[in-house]
Amino acid sequence: MSAELGGLTSNAESLVAMAVCGYVSSPSLRPGHYTHHPDGKGVILPGMFGVTYNASVGDRAFGWAGDHVEPGVSIAHPDEKSDMALHYLSCLGNEATVMSGLAKGAKGTVTGEHARLLVAFPDEVNELLNIGDQIQIEAVGRGIALNEFPRIEFKKTSPKLLASLGLTRAGNGALKLPVAIELPIEIMGSGAELNSEYVDQDLMSGDRALMADLGIDQMRLGDIIAIRHADHHFGRSYREGAVSIAICIHGDSIMTGHGPGIMTLMTCHEGGIEFEVDPSANIANYFRIGAGK
Amino acid sequence: MTVTFNEADLVAVSVGGVIAHPGFPGLPAEPYRLAADGTPFLLPAWGGIVYNVSIGDKAFGWAADCIHPGVSIRGTDDGRNRGLNVFSCLGNTATVMTGQAQGAKGVVTGKSGRFSEQVIIHFPKEIRKKMAVGDQIIVKSYGTGIVIDGHENIACKGLSPDLLKVLPNKTEDGILKFGTVATVPAFLVGAGAGLTSEGGSLHMQSTDRAALAEAGLDQLKLGDVVAIENTDSRYNHGYLRGAMSIGVVGQTDGPRSGYGPGMTVIMTAPKGELGTYRDAAANIASLLKLEA
Repeated sequence: MSAELGGLTSNAESLVAMAVCGYVSSPSLRPGHYTHHPDGKGVILPGMFGVTYNASVGDRAFGWAGDHVEPGVSIAHPDEKSDMALHYLSCLGNEATVMSGLAKGAKGTVTGEHARLLVAFPDEVNELLNIGDQIQIEAVGRGIALNEFPRIEFKKTSPKLLASLGLTRAGNGALKLPVAIELPIEIMGSGAELNSEYVDQDLMSGDRALMADLGIDQMRLGDIIAIRHADHHFGRSYREGAVSIAICIHGDSIMTGHGPGIMTLMTCHEGGIEFEVDPSANIANYFRIGAGK
Repeated sequence: MTVTFNEADLVAVSVGGVIAHPGFPGLPAEPYRLAADGTPFLLPAWGGIVYNVSIGDKAFGWAADCIHPGVSIRGTDDGRNRGLNVFSCLGNTATVMTGQAQGAKGVVTGKSGRFSEQVIIHFPKEIRKKMAVGDQIIVKSYGTGIVIDGHENIACKGLSPDLLKVLPNKTEDGILKFGTVATVPAFLVGAGAGLTSEGGSLHMQSTDRAALAEAGLDQLKLGDVVAIENTDSRYNHGYLRGAMSIGVVGQTDGPRSGYGPGMTVIMTAPKGELGTYRDAAANIASLLKLEA
């Protein structure tokens, strides 16, 4: 295929594109539902659901007076099975279109998957969106693979993202790409109980001194992330030598065992993936959206 | 040595449930779950009355997925089940209220978490043969609110006075230490991280068998008291250097990613206020003198 893939070729022409849709969500709270700091102090913070007007991909992941901040627009489908299709078929980088309301026809980009699907639109589109507006996604990317690296499994990776990741072939034959931050396996937390095709796994940010020591507190929404010894093929296992590549999809959390959300994009057993740290490895820069416009 | 605590102030309350039935998703779903390597498997899993696996038996090597030893119960709706799961304490007495085993006594030995949420109770094998799915069981819940004298920074959860009194311990340099069979390194903490620590369980990672063996975890038994390093379980389970949690192995290993043996956490402290030392015999089946 193209030079964009660093001389590599993919099966992008064999992928099937189909429509899935969701609706702009509305924040929802339970009565008396405090979120607790590690010392027990209870607070109520915004961040999830709805249209987040002032946090976009490319912005910081830490330091918001919010919890699990979902950048941009969070959409969901009210029917559970349709919602699971929205979750399992949508891929990062897919094109989204507003199908109803004042912003009808506006185009956006899928930037991640939390309990809701996350879509980035330009600010002026966000201003026009109503709760319940229909957002349709041209879902394409499930089944994507590199012909030269059949052992590397991709998840939720659109052809557009694949071409943007800066993939090259390393000297030792492994696939190489830039990542903004490497995370140590021992801080991977909430989400370990889920299958790895569904949403994300939070890094555990409760050790604030460690976050600062390792520079993890400089993470940005949309950063490409690497984790060694993480096997994300079927769930999230510790496996020495495995490497998983992921993306930061939501902001930090005060809750013990939580933190910025890390959504899997690639995983491989021993020796298949190498990476180098480059702070600009962020989809806001790759797609020229959000803070990267 | 004897640990003293606010036993006179603790309130004993009934919580109850019924013996749970094992479950599978309905058609057209496949009956298989996926092992960590993607292999589909169909094996007995949690819930129900388990006749031949008991607390004190091996935690690894069963042809099964996260089996609960003995008998598993659930509350009759989500709210009641939550009350049952949170207030039941390891070591509490359970009584069979209906059916052919009516009046039989058992002991709470574990709790399971998200997607299961059952309380695990040991009954002697002869009693299990008389029990039926749906039998009502009452737990005299007793232990929530325990504060250990002089060690107020240790948070206790799901820990009964009966169990606390028999846990091997010693105090060194003012630090209260408990005997544990092994220590789970933080990188082998799996499912349960970030979820509630008031009930439920925290699983160890068991996909990498070499790492498991190197950490000395591959021979663990159900009921073993274990330490979990760098883990703060005061409000959810999460990573924190210097923190320590102590749990009891409550359910067996399984083939899925993130779902090695589950541990019911009974104590935690954030800054080194809780210690452990190795005691290969620290198993609640013998400590509580459970009848086989």
